[in-house]
Amino acid sequence: MKIEIFGKSYDVEISEIKEGKIKVKINGEEYFFSEGELEKLTLLEEEKIPKKTEIIRGTLVEKEIRAPITGIISEIFVSEGENIRVGKKVLTLISMKMENEIIAESEGKIKEIRVRKDQFVNTNDILIILE
Amino acid sequence: MIIKSYKTIKSTSLVAKKLVKKGTKPWTIVLAKEQTSGYGRKKTFWFSPKGGLYFSIILPKSNIEDLQTLTILAAFSIGKIIKESFSLEPFIKLPNDLYINQKKFCGILTENVILGKEVKSSVMGIGLNTNIEKFPDELKEKVTSLKIELGRKVDNEKVLKQILKGVKEQLKIISQ
Repeated sequence: MKIEIFGKSYDVEISEIKEGKIKVKINGEEYFFSEGELEKLTLLEEEKIPKKTEIIRGTLVEKEIRAPITGIISEIFVSEGENIRVGKKVLTLISMKMENEIIAESEGKIKEIRVRKDQFVNTNDILIILE
Repeated sequence: MIIKSYKTIKSTSLVAKKLVKKGTKPWTIVLAKEQTSGYGRKKTFWFSPKGGLYFSIILPKSNIEDLQTLTILAAFSIGKIIKESFSLEPFIKLPNDLYINQKKFCGILTENVILGKEVKSSVMGIGLNTNIEKFPDELKEKVTSLKIELGRKVDNEKVLKQILKGVKEQLKIISQ
């Protein structure tokens, strides 16, 4: 969106990058805010700016697919370097003999596959990293 | 509960999973008289000629832990039904296979689709060797049917209804 203040034009882009964290881009410069109250935005100090891996949508840079449950990887359907879409079947995780098809929550290029076939994984272990 | 009956299909679970994608409601049952590509865990072939009872249940959305429990309880329900209706002594190999006289006669496979931490859909497939008269040589030492064990036919429809009732009751209890 464009805003004009005292005759000067500003290109403003606002996006929520993480719950409670707002990014405001003004003429290409990025500023990060914490959303305390709707009316009151606090400018974040540099160390409090969310790391790229924490960013959830909009400006996604790196994302992970984690194990929803403890189990064994029985099949992997993707490979590193592959571009995947939301809903793509990435792997099968067998848990208590249930077969769980894990599908991608976000799109992106597969940076790293952290698991191999027949590997045991715990709940919340990182399985795949996307960029 | 709606039962969709088919004569011959590849697999009741495959059809059920396709129906889920099209938005078919939970508690829809896919039933087949015969499966040409019936499968168990890791896609192992499940011998499914006419006479057996093959069906898949589209389950309502539940959390993953409840689904694990439900698979085990479904096995218990089937064991109980077989014991009470036919005075047989089934053995449950946890969590999902049932045996009589050390031969398998029933298998359960629950398949879930998971997005993040959310279970998007679940299909429970059950293969029960009811009225199968004989098995191929490579299987006959490992598997059996109710007809072979009892020496008589059983009513597939009645067994199906009892199992569906049992699974539904179990899910109600664990999700409370």
